[in-house]
Amino acid sequence: MTDHDLTPDDFTDTARAVMNACAGAGGTAARMSLLAEAGLPGILAPEAAGGMDLPLGFAVPVLAAAGRGFLAAPLLETMLLARAFAGVDDAVAADLAAGTTCATIAWSGAFDGTTGLVGAAPLAAESDRVLVFRTDGTAVLVSKGEGVEVEAAATLEVDRPEDNIRLSKAAGPELPAERVAQLKAEAQVLRAALILGAAEDCLDRASAYAQERVQFGKPLSAYQAIQHSLARDCLAVETIRNSIARSLSPHCATPAAAARATFVGAARLGSRVAESAIQVHGGMGFTWDVPLHRHLRMVKTLAAQGGAADLLEAVAAELMAGEDSEAEEMKRAG
Amino acid sequence: MTQTALAETGPETPNVAAHARAWLDANLPGTLREDRLQDRAPTVPELCEWEAKLHRAGLVGATWPERYGGGGRSLRDHLDISREIGRTPMPESVNSIGKELAGPIIMAVGTDAQKDAYLPAILEMRDIWCQGFSEPNAGSDLAGLRTRAVQTSEGWVINGQKIWTSGASKSSRCLLLCRTGSVEDRHRGLVLFAVKTDTPGVDIREIRSIDGARHFCEVFFNNVVVPEADLLGSPDEGWAAATRVLSIERATNRMHRAWRFENQLRHLVRACAADPATRRLVETDYRRQIAAVSVDIDLLKGHVETLVGSLIDGNEIGPRGSLPKLFWSEAHQNFAALALEIVSQFPVTMSDDLKAVKQRMEDIYLKARAETIYAGTTEIQLGIIAKRILRLNRGA
Ligand SMILES: Cc1cc2nc3c(=O)[nH]c(=O)nc-3n(C[C@H](O)[C@H](O)[C@H](O)COP(=O)(O)OP(=O)(O)OC[C@H]3O[C@@H](n4cnc5c(N)ncnc54)[C@H](O)[C@@H]3O)c2cc1C
Repeated sequence: MTDHDLTPDDFTDTARAVMNACAGAGGTAARMSLLAEAGLPGILAPEAAGGMDLPLGFAVPVLAAAGRGFLAAPLLETMLLARAFAGVDDAVAADLAAGTTCATIAWSGAFDGTTGLVGAAPLAAESDRVLVFRTDGTAVLVSKGEGVEVEAAATLEVDRPEDNIRLSKAAGPELPAERVAQLKAEAQVLRAALILGAAEDCLDRASAYAQERVQFGKPLSAYQAIQHSLARDCLAVETIRNSIARSLSPHCATPAAAARATFVGAARLGSRVAESAIQVHGGMGFTWDVPLHRHLRMVKTLAAQGGAADLLEAVAAELMAGEDSEAEEMKRAG
Repeated sequence: MTQTALAETGPETPNVAAHARAWLDANLPGTLREDRLQDRAPTVPELCEWEAKLHRAGLVGATWPERYGGGGRSLRDHLDISREIGRTPMPESVNSIGKELAGPIIMAVGTDAQKDAYLPAILEMRDIWCQGFSEPNAGSDLAGLRTRAVQTSEGWVINGQKIWTSGASKSSRCLLLCRTGSVEDRHRGLVLFAVKTDTPGVDIREIRSIDGARHFCEVFFNNVVVPEADLLGSPDEGWAAATRVLSIERATNRMHRAWRFENQLRHLVRACAADPATRRLVETDYRRQIAAVSVDIDLLKGHVETLVGSLIDGNEIGPRGSLPKLFWSEAHQNFAALALEIVSQFPVTMSDDLKAVKQRMEDIYLKARAETIYAGTTEIQLGIIAKRILRLNRGA
């Protein structure tokens, strides 16, 4: 089979199996090497960097499986970094794709060149390197050590806890501003993919529980209130799935706006599905051991990492400016 | 029955969207623009003339076979045209039941003679169709309908009553669902006809709706004789045909919706931002809520565009038609509620531009109440998703 014959769906089974293996592995580094054995961190990186050079759509089932399977590794970050550094620093890209370097991204804040604190870096404590954004739009991949200290931070996440990074210098391989912009844009759809997997799992668990749990002599699923709530969750999941598909389709006239709406929508709808799954489980849903809260924590954390609230402001600004990106696209095409 | 009539895949035409856009920009009469203050509603003959012109320009019936006056093109072309139609503030079709429900059904179950007789007349606006399904005692529970058709030597004799029949008083043909046996037969023994509405014994009475219009009707059938030639499909095929009509109605009908919502939203924002008295409403007070509506519109486009891709790949719509129906009806109601709240804060003295947007948004708000009722209510869609997609009725 050549790469050309591959479809994104071909990755679903492999990805789910790898995520299961990762759940039993000890530590982020061990998980990254399991992921690398299956070629997953390098799925988007060019072949020169040891990657598979596949389009973004191929990362979707992989990250959906990661979201579903509570993957405790910075896979989204590594995929994006391996792709972004290819052609800029092939050796770094190759290490990332091979899983020999474990890297993450500090999604929040920017370094002004002298000193400061950046944050929202998933699993930074267990990573070797961290990508830090700079105020001028570029970014630098720093190594932990002198001038780069990881500080524990309050974090909602259980599986991919966020850390802060205290910086007094920032040296390392650099990404130009346009690569950084592209990385941030691609992260939107990939976050939606993680959310999709988590939301699917919440819906599956809630549907299964509703069919098992008997009250008033009937399974919960026999009651219309429960059926309708689950049907709304199903609509939410399918809305996320279809919006991801649309924003990656070659027929989409406005991929950038579509990706933004996909992420903002997934952040809202994914939370809804997780919250509603907790409700359907009753008291059981409020326990630490039922992992629905871990999905909810991830969705809320991803929403913040991707700046869902700020993106809504960007949507508003475009509307106010009267920009119809789709119409503009059409005029150019016509 | 397959979806092929709907997803009939002719060649994709390059620049079909550019043609549609240029044509619509050049040809939409000012009196039909929904973003302008109008002193009266357009008449049915005016609308028919406009829609016949749209057809001659190739913007209606794109996927229908050329033999019946269609364009013989792909569903993707229909989507491209629909986007442009949505972006243009023009009236909804007075014959969407003909073009989007009766037409596809006739293509699926009609005889060649019926196709030749009915199909070109729909596109050329010589026949306006209505849909006679609902009855006083059979709404959500459509299989409880009672209108009876009895076969005699002179043809089929029909007795009964339909209600909420949109556009019946303006129509010339009715897609009528009747039963041949008794009510206990439920969805067995249902039969579809193409009844001429001027047949003796057909009595149509308009009902005034909450928006003040007189569009939907009661239709009484008193010993109405329908020739065998107007029977659609075989006598027992009615339920299969009816559910197919409903899944089309839910999923693909008015494919331009997302882009029309966007046109409505942009109209609201543009008009408010241009006036110092209302600028604050959109730029500050409701800024984020307006952006959230815009995100919903993109999510709706996701449903529509993915569905089109799936139909082109040869998949059936089936119960999945309930997903976009539920999404668009509620997203539009959310938009309409927000729009009404905004226009209700307009000052007493208003420019014509503000008057136009206020009138349009008030009308949209009222009309949107029906969107979670017709084509299957929200509760019915939720039930379909729960039982037929999630399969929650197992063991229940
Ligand atoms: C503007 C408009 C245009 C229409 N045009 C047409 C047309 O052209 N042709 C046509 O045939 N029909 C048409 N209809 C009719 C429409 O299809 C019906 O109104 C609809 O199917 C609901 O039926 P009903 O009005 O009898 O309400 P009912 O079925 O009595 O429902 C009343 C309420 O009860 C709820 N309900 C019903 N059953 C259940 C259940 N099992 N569980 C939970 N809740 C339930 C419903 O959701 C609804 O909220 C139109 C309706 C409107 C509003």
